[in-house]
Amino acid sequence: MSDEFDPDVLSESFAEMLGAEWPREKSVTWSQEPGLFAEPLWQQMSELGWAALTVPEDHGGLGLDLGCSALLHSALGAAAAPVPMLGSTLATALLSAAGNDEQKACLLPQIADGSLRCAVAQPCDMAANIDNGTISAVFRNMIDAPAANMLFLRATLNAANCWVMISRDTEGVTVSEEALTDATRTMGAVTLDNVTVDAAAIITAADANALDDHLLRIASVAIAADAIGGGEAVLAVTIDYLKTREQFGRLIGSFQALKHRAADHQAALVAARGLVEHAASLADDSPGALLDALSAKQHVTRIVAEIARDCIQLHGGVGFTAEFPPHIYLKRAKLNEVLYGTRVDLLDHIADMLEAA
Amino acid sequence: MGRQFDIIAKVGDEQAFRQEIRDWLAASIPAGWRQQWQAVRESELKAIVVEWLEKRREVGLATPHWPREWGGPGLPFAYQIMVYEEFARADAPELDMFTISLFHTPATLFEHGTQAQKDRYLGGITHGTDIWCQGFSEPGAGSDLASLRTSAKREGDHYLVNGQKIWSSAAMHADYCLLLARTDPNGPRKHDGISYFIMDMKSPGVEVRPIRQITGEAEFAEIFLDDVKIPAENLIGAEGNGWHIAQSTLSTERGLLIFGAVERLARSFELDGKEARQGWMRDVQMRREYAAFHAELQSLRLMIRKLLIELEANPDKASPTLPTYIKLIWGPFLQRYTEFLIRAEGIDALKWQPSIPGTGHSSRLRMNDFLKSYGWTIAGGSNEIMRNIISERILGLPRG
Repeated sequence: MSDEFDPDVLSESFAEMLGAEWPREKSVTWSQEPGLFAEPLWQQMSELGWAALTVPEDHGGLGLDLGCSALLHSALGAAAAPVPMLGSTLATALLSAAGNDEQKACLLPQIADGSLRCAVAQPCDMAANIDNGTISAVFRNMIDAPAANMLFLRATLNAANCWVMISRDTEGVTVSEEALTDATRTMGAVTLDNVTVDAAAIITAADANALDDHLLRIASVAIAADAIGGGEAVLAVTIDYLKTREQFGRLIGSFQALKHRAADHQAALVAARGLVEHAASLADDSPGALLDALSAKQHVTRIVAEIARDCIQLHGGVGFTAEFPPHIYLKRAKLNEVLYGTRVDLLDHIADMLEAA
Repeated sequence: MGRQFDIIAKVGDEQAFRQEIRDWLAASIPAGWRQQWQAVRESELKAIVVEWLEKRREVGLATPHWPREWGGPGLPFAYQIMVYEEFARADAPELDMFTISLFHTPATLFEHGTQAQKDRYLGGITHGTDIWCQGFSEPGAGSDLASLRTSAKREGDHYLVNGQKIWSSAAMHADYCLLLARTDPNGPRKHDGISYFIMDMKSPGVEVRPIRQITGEAEFAEIFLDDVKIPAENLIGAEGNGWHIAQSTLSTERGLLIFGAVERLARSFELDGKEARQGWMRDVQMRREYAAFHAELQSLRLMIRKLLIELEANPDKASPTLPTYIKLIWGPFLQRYTEFLIRAEGIDALKWQPSIPGTGHSSRLRMNDFLKSYGWTIAGGSNEIMRNIISERILGLPRG
């Protein structure tokens, strides 16, 4: 972690801004009438340099590491903020790792200033063949695509894996939104109809598998961080409620049947936060970096989804209403559980790594 | 005999220190000790444990956590951690029955004992093989320890003690007992009026009855106290100050014991997966369950390391909440993981076998480890008490 940035100070500044600009009421309102992304919030974030967090300094960024990035994603998860930050983090990682000098010089500054909103394909997404410099294909379930203006898609060129960057306004590109239960993120089918792909738009890694592992690690840490932030926030909301709601003439938080569950959730979140922090602190090439990232992702997204589920129950009737926030966190948590690798995918991958150790 | 070892002299060079411990462990851990300890009768157990303790003493590692002023090696905390880590990795036998002797007794006496008490009792631990037990819990005072009723009445130069203690680990082997008894039944709060004593287990009126556990072994005992005379000079600290003293010394093991236990499980976890390569690891569902435990195990190791780092930096400023979280998570984790292994291994895991002393919670006898895991969820403040502490003291939820 960079010396100039104290993680606690950084976290506080994220939380302070989001608390002011994306308070719970806004979150509830948004959940009932969602847009593609919260544009004023995204602009403010960008002005504050948040989109530039991991962009290298010589391309207009702050050059901070994954640890700082995890703090940001955790804060965004806590606010359930509808902004396409995950795409920025992943596109930055993709370009930094495998982009050529021109691609970096052209795109990274635009990611840093927030003018590019990126959608980056998941590991499970299809790779379309580039045939005579064009692609015709339909990419289903492309996360973040409706909110994005730059798409990073998987492709093959001469039977080798690569990535292509396609601007949303390119001739032949259409994105049809598929509404998600999680109103804080978007998904859509991307159709490319004879879209021209020139060489400048193709990113080729020296080692495509290593690049996939790298991106999977970044995505796992960012999503685990988002999840832990959301888990802590939904438990905090719930504990506040347990301290104010009275039944049978007593605060319901005094009942052991409820408070013991809150205690279990709290302990699980403390343990989970440690897992995320550790996974985020490792160098990309350190042994166990991928294993710990995948373990953190599968575990943290699972327990947070479970905690969010129970927080609705702990709220009782009001937890079942759209007016109260737990459902927002539950929906975001369920999406986090499957994004960039379902739990089953990850567990199989983890088991492989444990066996190979 | 092979070469001479000087582990303590390697302090200052972490790698050399670790290597010296590894070499010593490789040369010193008795081959097949698990089978040997498993076969030993309870009455002969102490002798075999002492043999191992003496071996450790030869290289200054009988009491690796003791400061110099206690007569220990004065290892920096980071090196103590390394000792525990290496012992766990090498599957060295544990000194369970000496836990109170090696941790609680010296901590209590050094902090609160008189010079005469230190002179008289500590030598038997530092240089000898005295076993101490704890007389805290009572049949009517478990989670609610402060309601204990064993009475100690001052009569001239001694106290006359009557009552009953329970869950005293290793009491049947013990030479001395750290005893909590009520000297004033009329204190304003139930925590007041409790005093802390050293009791000679050979005193007339002391009767020890082992408690047979669900694992088949007997690690605990009940202690019946019938007009037991404890000399007045055996009072530790001031009369009525026993609760305070007990609280301040309960956590003296500073996370090292649970650290050792978790590292031992981490070693076992690795072996479990490897040994099952041709077995249940070929079952896709079992394999996934196994993989899922990795995260939980890692998160525990990270929490304990964090606690140890905090303690190393400043023992008085370490997080008071972390040990509670660790306790609440570790026990159920151990329970679920050992239960998983029983399911994974099928009927073989259910065959009865005598427990293996010295293996902590990783004897790798599946059913025994599973049953023994309740030791972590019930003892030392049950997990229900931990949940009360977290919800009320940390989360600020109202008391019931």
